Parts: sequence; C-alpha cells; structure tokens
Amino acid sequence: MRFRLSTEAVDTASLRDGLKHPGSGGFCAFEGWVRDSNEGRDVDGLEYEAYAELAETEGDRIVGEAIERYGVTDALCVHRIGDLGVGDLAVWVGVSAAHRDEAFRACRYIIDEIKHRLPIWKKEHYLTGDTQWVACTHVYRAHEHEHDAGHAHHHHGERHAARPFAPDYSRQQVLREVGEAGQAKLSASRVLVIGAGGLGCPAISYLAGAGIGTLGIVDGDRLEASNLHRQTLYGARDIGEFKAVLAARRVAELNPTVSVQTWTEPLHAGNAVELFRQFDLVLECTDDMRSRYLSSDAAVLSGTPLILASVYQYEGQLQVVTARPGEPCLRCLWPHEPAPEAVGSCVLSGVLGPVPGVFGTMQAMEALKLLLDLPRPREPVLLLFNLLDVTLTRLPIDAASGCAVHGGCVAVASSSMAHALDEREIDLVFDNLEQAVLAGYRLVDVRESEEIAHEPLDGLPSLHIPSSQVMARVGELGDGPILLVCASGRRSGHAARLLRASGLRQAYSLEGGVLSLRVAG
Amino acid sequence: MTVVNLQYYAQLREQAGASSEQVRTAATSLQELYEELRARHGFSLGPDTLKVAVNAQFSAWDRPLRDGDTIVFIPPVAGG
Repeated sequence: MRFRLSTEAVDTASLRDGLKHPGSGGFCAFEGWVRDSNEGRDVDGLEYEAYAELAETEGDRIVGEAIERYGVTDALCVHRIGDLGVGDLAVWVGVSAAHRDEAFRACRYIIDEIKHRLPIWKKEHYLTGDTQWVACTHVYRAHEHEHDAGHAHHHHGERHAARPFAPDYSRQQVLREVGEAGQAKLSASRVLVIGAGGLGCPAISYLAGAGIGTLGIVDGDRLEASNLHRQTLYGARDIGEFKAVLAARRVAELNPTVSVQTWTEPLHAGNAVELFRQFDLVLECTDDMRSRYLSSDAAVLSGTPLILASVYQYEGQLQVVTARPGEPCLRCLWPHEPAPEAVGSCVLSGVLGPVPGVFGTMQAMEALKLLLDLPRPREPVLLLFNLLDVTLTRLPIDAASGCAVHGGCVAVASSSMAHALDEREIDLVFDNLEQAVLAGYRLVDVRESEEIAHEPLDGLPSLHIPSSQVMARVGELGDGPILLVCASGRRSGHAARLLRASGLRQAYSLEGGVLSLRVAG
Repeated sequence: MTVVNLQYYAQLREQAGASSEQVRTAATSLQELYEELRARHGFSLGPDTLKVAVNAQFSAWDRPLRDGDTIVFIPPVAGG
C-alpha cells in the first residue's frame, strides 16, 4: 500500500528514506498542517474522520495513478485521522523521480485528488467552543488544467478557467417570487433542524439543495438498520454512526457551499433558548414529545419561528409557530406534555416510510415560504393530513382560547422552561460514588434489599430506603444534599422529582444508576 | 337523540378501528359524547389530552351537540 491512514503522528524522515532510489534525481514532498483559522474563525484543533476501507483503497489508487501518469520512480502518502491540534501535520505526500518537474507535478496531483476524492471529513473546533464539519470537496485540481499529462510545454490550446464547484440555483431563481434577491436571502439564512430522522432527512436535503447559508443539525442518536426505510439520507454502511455527523457529510456532498454545524446530543432545557437565538428559523423533526414541547417553549422565548411536524402511522400534523406576540404555540393547542405511553411512537405504533417523507418535505416548503416571504395564508392553523384517505384538514387555531387564558405564551413558556431546567439538574453524573461522597452528597440507596445484596455500594456509607417508601420516610433524609441511587436511574429519578415537589430542594438522582458506574469503571 | 359524524385521528383511529363513523347519541355536550365513546371503544386518552373540533373549527368541550355536526377528536402525535 502506498497510501495509509494513521491515528498517530507521522514519522516523515522514515517515509522520505523509503523513497530513496538510485535512479531518483529529485524528491518533492508536500505537508498539510492544521492552521489556526479558517474563513475568519479562530480554530484550536480539528478532527478527521474517514470511511477507512474506501479511503485506503482509493488513496492507493490515486498514488498509483500519479506514478503512472507522470512516470515518477516512487510515491507515498499518509493522511492523519482523529484529533489534531494547531500545527500538527495532517497529510504528507512524497514523490521521488528522475527529474524535478515530474516530482512536483505528481506531488500536486496526489494532494489534489486526495482532497477531492477521499471519503475523509474534517470537523473544526473553534475557540468559541463550537464545532463545524467542513466540506473538503470543492478543490481546484491543477492537473485538470494541464493540456496533456507529461510534456505539454509546446502546446498552446484553449485554456480552461479554474472552476471550483459553483451551485446553480437557476431552476428556483427563475421563479418570479424568488429571483436573485430571494436567493441572496437563502444564502444569508441560518436554519436549525432538530432531529435528522424520517422528517429531518427530506427537510435537510431540500434546504441544502436550496442553498441555505448555514444548517444546524441536532440529533443525539446513532443510525440503526430500522431507520433506513424512512431516513433517506443514509445507507447500510452508515449504521452505528451519529446521524448528525452522517447528515452533515451528506450535505457536504450535496451542496459544498452550505456550512453545517452539528450537535450530537438531544436538545435540552439548558441549551434550547440559546441555540434557537443563533438561528433565523427552526424545524422540529424529532419523534420525541418532550423535545417538541421544549422547542415550542424555546421558540416563544427566543422569538424564533418554528415549524413543527409529527406523524402517526399513516397520518400527521403540521403547525407553524411564528413566535410573534399574540400568535399561537404548541401549548395553545395541548397545554401539557402528555405521558410518553399515551402518545405512541414509530417504534411501538409503526410508520410507513413516505409518511414522514411527506411531512418533512412540507416542513422544508414552509421554511422556504417563511425565509422568502412567499404568499401564504396568515391565519394560524393545525394541519392534519391522512395519507390513507388522502384527506387534508385545516383547523384554524384561536389564540385567544389557548395560552392567553393562562397569561400568554411567553409566561407559560417561561414557567415550563424553568420547570424543565429544575428537572434537568436533578440527574447528576458521577464516574464513581466516592466522588459524590467527597462532594458532600449523602447517598440514599432506593433499591430493594435483594438488589443491594447482589450488588452493594462498595462499602460506602448509605441510607437504605426502598423507592416505594421514600415519601413516607422523608423525615430521615435531612436537609443537606442527597443523592438517590437505583439500578438504572429511573426509580431514583422519579423519587427525586417527588421529593423536589414536596419541597426537598436538594434531592438529586444518579443518572444511569449503578449500571452506569459499572460501565464507566 | 342527536346524529353526529365522527372522525378519528392517530391513536383514536387505531383504537376505534375506523377513521370515521356516524352515531346516534343521547349526549348533550362534546364532553359527554367523548366519555360515551371512550367507554365504547376503550380510548386510552383522557379528554384533557385532546383537542376537539366541530365542523372544521376547534371547539370548547361544553359545546352542545347539533344534528349533522362533524366532530373530530385530535391527540398530539410525536412520531418522526
């Protein structure tokens, strides 16, 4: 193999020595380094990820092509993957040849083709703390502009201009309502898509194709085989990877001019409002009721328009929350988040692939209508669309009978968000329980006696109160911070919430329970 | 007795086993009607988790029934 991927720093001296041949009169190397800025942003490191099998086969092919094409003696290339800091060597290319000209040109060919063809993705880490996947596909390739490989010095035919990828939006720009001005609006816009699943896939595709300037993608899940019937951005070989990362790569392939920012954890009360403020528009595409309510609250509190859609088997719902004063939100329809078991899910209830496909596409359409300020009915509605009967029902929403009755959307959203934040801080993560004890928490083991006998808490001092008795024995818990512990974190979480509701402000629960300690340890 | 047309969505459609039906009912309000249907079809959702619309307009639960009303019960759904 003349090409390899390396997770460790590259020993360039030994690579160079490997290219020494008696017949070589010249050696040329190229080193790509991590620099401290890109497009005006301060970078403090980056991460390369590769589809290794394909990258190595294709990389080897590229080096072979260069040797053949330019008649050089030998060539090698190594590309780093993993985490790199500023100044680190990211890629090394070396070529030895009888004469310098071929060596230079083969070296250039290899680096250009590597950047153009290899399935390697670069994620930049900025000093501001956020990250972004950067498309590396639109590169200028010098050899495409050579007149003929080898010796072209005497040929002066027509020259091609250098052509990096230039998107062509003519098919949408020809629409009178879009035009150049509309296209400029899209290029300047920032859209956040929460959930890169059945709804998110078509939404992301259409938004990327339309030339949205920046797409944010939030999804904490990894791809599973059961997703593929409806999640059209992905393929069989992607299983096990983060959907947000996969979707970002797909966008880079589809339209390299779109900037993509990814978050590989679900939306939570701690970041929702701040995240919404960074975008012009948000699409809620998750299959999670909690996320939908959180998004509605964050939209209202940040003043960011939100397009909600969700599906059930053969039908779905669509609602545009404009987040303007006096216009309805999700809570205006259904004030409280229903219990998870009452709602159903794609897992339990089933769903036919095209159903979220239709609704995600409708979300993209609504997004473009809002961004381009296209004509649309101004009356707020809940749209119900049954794809079996093919019946579309538009129900006008009367904002006056919604949150307005309870002080308005903003007041309702603030108190819901405060409650969600409070609930969020109940679940604490510890690598081991000694840390918790050192941090001043009193341990309360809420498991049953048999469970404790089977897996005791490593001799640490703890109070034992089974979860069902916690409320009756609240007097034994004291006033200090307590950490409730069970097997998975579910019983302790529930008990801690009950204790909080009864006024015990310092009740916490070990997230993931004893099981998480075993995994971490 | 009042004759009304019902449409069901999502879980309600699944539990009723039909997306629509016509019923003759002695119920006088939407609330009473829903409780009657809930008993008949075994709906798992309580009225507090639903929206109800009559003749393509959302409605309050205490609205009286009229012959020929088309009534839709709508739960929130979360699939994606």
